[in-house]
Amino acid sequence: MVGLSLGEKHFIQGGIAHDLRCDGRKRLTYRPILVETGVIAQANGSARVRMGATDVIASIKAELGKPSLLQPDKGKVSIYIDCSSTAEPAFEGRGGDELAAELSNALQHCLLGGKSGAGAGIDLSSLIVVEGKICWDLYIDGLVVSSDGNVLDALGAAIKAALCNTGIPRVQVAAGTSNDEQPEVDVSDEEFLQFDTSGVPVIVTLTKIGRHYIVDATSEEESQMSSAVSISVNRQGHICGITKRGGVGLDPSIILDMISVAKHVSEQLMNKLDSEIASAEAEEES
Amino acid sequence: MRGIQLPLSQTQKVRLQKTLEQLESLSSKVNSDASVIIADSIPVNHEDGVLKGHGTADLNGEVVATVCGVVERVNKLVYVRSLRSRYKPEVGDIVIGRVAEVAQKRWRLDINFNQDAVLMLSSMNMPDGVQRRRTALDELNMRCIFEENDVVCAEVRGFQHDGLHLQARSRKYGKLYRGQLLTVPPYLVKRQKQHFHHLEEFGIDLILGCNGFIWVGEHIEAKDDMVEDQVSQSDPQVLLHNSASLEEQERNYTILETRKYICRAANAVRVLSILGFNITLEIIKGIIDLSLSMNLDIHEMLGSEFCVLVAEKEAERRSSNKKKR
Repeated sequence: MVGLSLGEKHFIQGGIAHDLRCDGRKRLTYRPILVETGVIAQANGSARVRMGATDVIASIKAELGKPSLLQPDKGKVSIYIDCSSTAEPAFEGRGGDELAAELSNALQHCLLGGKSGAGAGIDLSSLIVVEGKICWDLYIDGLVVSSDGNVLDALGAAIKAALCNTGIPRVQVAAGTSNDEQPEVDVSDEEFLQFDTSGVPVIVTLTKIGRHYIVDATSEEESQMSSAVSISVNRQGHICGITKRGGVGLDPSIILDMISVAKHVSEQLMNKLDSEIASAEAEEES
Repeated sequence: MRGIQLPLSQTQKVRLQKTLEQLESLSSKVNSDASVIIADSIPVNHEDGVLKGHGTADLNGEVVATVCGVVERVNKLVYVRSLRSRYKPEVGDIVIGRVAEVAQKRWRLDINFNQDAVLMLSSMNMPDGVQRRRTALDELNMRCIFEENDVVCAEVRGFQHDGLHLQARSRKYGKLYRGQLLTVPPYLVKRQKQHFHHLEEFGIDLILGCNGFIWVGEHIEAKDDMVEDQVSQSDPQVLLHNSASLEEQERNYTILETRKYICRAANAVRVLSILGFNITLEIIKGIIDLSLSMNLDIHEMLGSEFCVLVAEKEAERRSSNKKKR
């Protein structure tokens, strides 16, 4: 985006102090969220999420692979994000790579849990086919088509919607193979298993501008931020991950305050997203 | 549905579809052959030896359009003025630009044209209001007038050898502050008698730049020259001495009530831009009044229900206008 003049900056900051942002929202109001599912035919699941002018697509591809030796009872999930160079002039050439790496890291922290795979939002043990031999590898790819702030939240929502849309083919394992051999498998083209997404968290980014913080910042507002904290919260209201951007430090008490606000906001967002996903799925089927 | 991107429910979709059809039926009777889409043939009289301009091509001896837009004819020249394009300046247009660069004796402004426009130091009134030659000192102090990224209002002066020139020889032109800038497709803003509007009942200023940049801000009284003189002289020192408190003041200057109207007006423009309707003062006022009478929260104006409602009202308005004629 282009720079802002001093007058506009003051107007944005003053508006946030008055609890009235440039488009009339309050500090904790989201822009309308638009969800479409099944946008990529070749993928196992896909979704497109639009919040204002921010537009992201997430796709999920499942492939059969071998579980790692350390965790023979778990599948593998990898997340890659790409920032399209048409999204913003700054993303041209390699400009978007840095942000893309940052976003993929943040999403990995928020969705995948620890190294051991414990506490992941996506249930990795449901991806196993034959323990120690065959598992599903999930490739989650995100694409930022156009960016108008709050890209991380939109990507989180898109991945959640795409996971809801994902059908993993049922696999028949040929019986009677000995322990050492790779068992024969038969992947069904008709039967799909729905993925359990109840544990997938949503991400709420609180952007601090002046003394206050806001959700769903536009890129104009993001240019005025001192720091931003992204908190992922699951349905039970538990925190799954926190990442912070921006160089300015935060008082620990503010972070605690932010977490309680994020918890409250995430409940609304989760319900809104669920209803949007449900209506998108209904639309796709009709 | 022309790529209107709104989360619509089934009934809203039907209503919007119906409204758009109604609007289409209203407009098509007036001049149906002037607006073309790609590959439409443009009727010309070949004996006159027409000149094919922008957006036209020869296909089997027929002139066809290569862009969507409106056919324009100037003597023998036939061209298509495309709709979704950058702004095409005309002399006398009032535009709003953002300073891209401060250069020798001039500012370069981004006005959504193919190239940056030039505003010469000599073609604008000095802030002290005195008419005189611009000295080297003035040139050094150019950043006191406009800095990079400042939003500036000016008038198109014309094409010179080194590009498009602007001028700001009146107090109504100049830097804009305490408000927000919106960008819409330029074809939505039609040239009118008046582009500066002061909405007295709301206490806000609305400037409709012909280049699709629209300024909505707090009303600022055009100051008397003498008063301005003193203020501008004392300003730099004051700013240096207690910049923190002054900045705080500036931030809180616009009162909440005015802010609400600014945001309401801005959202009215956004709704029109989403729907692709012409942006004029009357229509914006109509939308503001509609939203006020419905007691709608400001951010709800961007919701799909309100957009559909605005479309319906617009269709109603246009059809009643037509009947009057």
